[in-house]
Amino acid sequence: METTSKNPNSTTKKKYLISKSIDSFFEDLYELYTFIIRFFKESFSAPVEWKEIVNQCYAIGYKTLLLVSVTGFITGTVFTKQSRPSLSAFGAASWLPSLVSIAIIKTMAPLITALIAAGKVGSNIGAELGSMKVTEQIDAMEVSATNPFKFLVVSRILASTFMMPVLVLYTGLVGMMGAYLNVHANEATSFISFFISAFKTIEFKDIFTSLFKAICYGFTIGVAGCYQGYNAENGTQGVGRAANLAVVFSMFLIFVEELLIVQVLNNFK
Amino acid sequence: MKNNRPVIVGIFIVLGLAILITTIFTLGGQKKAFVKSFALNTIFNDVSGLVVGANVLFSGVKIGTVKKIEFYGDSQVKVSMSIENDAESHIHKNAFAKIGSDGLIGNKTVVIYGGNKTQPQVVKNDFLKIENELSTEDMLATLQQNNKNLVDITTSFKSISKKIDAGDGILGKLVNDPGLGTKLANTITNLQSTVDNFKSASLSGKTVMGDFERLSGNFKNPTNSINRIANDSIAYNKIVGTVTQLQNASASLNKFTVNLRSVSERLNEKLNKKDAPLGLMLNDSATANSLKSMIKNLQSSSSKLNDDLEAVQHNFLLKGFFKKRAKEQEKAKETIIQQ
Repeated sequence: METTSKNPNSTTKKKYLISKSIDSFFEDLYELYTFIIRFFKESFSAPVEWKEIVNQCYAIGYKTLLLVSVTGFITGTVFTKQSRPSLSAFGAASWLPSLVSIAIIKTMAPLITALIAAGKVGSNIGAELGSMKVTEQIDAMEVSATNPFKFLVVSRILASTFMMPVLVLYTGLVGMMGAYLNVHANEATSFISFFISAFKTIEFKDIFTSLFKAICYGFTIGVAGCYQGYNAENGTQGVGRAANLAVVFSMFLIFVEELLIVQVLNNFK
Repeated sequence: MKNNRPVIVGIFIVLGLAILITTIFTLGGQKKAFVKSFALNTIFNDVSGLVVGANVLFSGVKIGTVKKIEFYGDSQVKVSMSIENDAESHIHKNAFAKIGSDGLIGNKTVVIYGGNKTQPQVVKNDFLKIENELSTEDMLATLQQNNKNLVDITTSFKSISKKIDAGDGILGKLVNDPGLGTKLANTITNLQSTVDNFKSASLSGKTVMGDFERLSGNFKNPTNSINRIANDSIAYNKIVGTVTQLQNASASLNKFTVNLRSVSERLNEKLNKKDAPLGLMLNDSATANSLKSMIKNLQSSSSKLNDDLEAVQHNFLLKGFFKKRAKEQEKAKETIIQQ
């Protein structure tokens, strides 16, 4: 329960409430909470760093588009191909568009986009901010009367939060196109017929739920990357650790959020 | 390049919004979310898992969706539907609603059907009558009953076929005994013959009926005697008179017969009495024997008398007389032959 303080020369010992690791976990949680609160405070205070936000939108959204599009196309095609035998066994191959649209629009598009973005954007933000932190660039910004939190953190979190729904829309469209090409190649279904069948089982609620998920995932990726990078320590080793933790932390939170959102929103009709 | 970033980001966002708007309008068009609609209601006893948002079909065309499902009364369910205005003119107040299904295991739908122009069109918030549709559970229960019946039938057939194969019963013997088959074939041949006879008899009957018909036609002919009798009152009265006379004659004959029977009985009674002469002759054996010997004596006397008369013909005193008579007789015969 008791351990030595950070200063080895100090003779006083710091008392932990439970244990070092558990107390540290809750301390981190509190720091994350204050980090998010600060983000919201800085977001609604002038000036707004529009230029940096646009730059981050470009980096996070546009630069990730190709990656998530290819992933979405492959996902739609493979999912359709893998689902066909199961449905054909029941003589229900005509239900493939409905099944694929439910899977892609309701779950796969937001989740895959978020995971890909967490890998690419999260690690990028973590490493970038971590490098700036360990090289004391952030401290330098403070000295030069620039608000580093607003410039670096708020712009990135807002950019990832805004860009993720757009990426999800692209991923959904590309994924459905991949599914259509596979269905057309096998069942010779027309484009219109495919999309009529696909939208038959989709509700407005499903689309807005996906967009809501995307916003949550984008915010999570931005917060996780910025928090880990902004609090990076111990030189280059800390940068790598921040990038790694940003990806792991954001991916873990994405799955937790997926579970919670599905559980909560399924109760709304 | 860096200066182009806002434009690229703007295009990127606009295209993303275009995808979202296209999706919303496509979905809205398919869900009829942006068309004017009116409300219709119906009350079901069982909605079989119908959910809000389910399609409403009329003649197989989607005309709306289910908007609300709520309990009504004790256990009934009120289903409120949003029907597009274009369909209003086709739905009449005597239309029915039922719970349908997209395929055997598909989503439940509300199907509106029936109705005609004898009733006015439905209006906002009207209630449609219902008809209970067979649910999947009902169909499966019926199918299960059919399966049980099929098992019973096949079991019975199995038993029957075993008995037939073993030669039990009429069918078994028929299948396994060639002699019985031959007999049956003969029976069928005889039956065929009988049928032919019946056919022939039927033809004869037809001919007879034709004859009757012709006879009836003849009767109808005014020149026919029976027709005349039937239509001539004088002749009819004569016949009636003749029949009356015949009846009288018959009555007299009957009376005569009764008298004859009485006489016969009295005669018979007297014949049976031994004191009467005839009764004595018929019933007394001694008298009969006396009569028999008397007849024998008479025969004997007659024979002797014949001999005596033959002797007289040859007597010389009478011989000439007999010769003369014989000649006269021969002469009469020749005259007859010549004539």
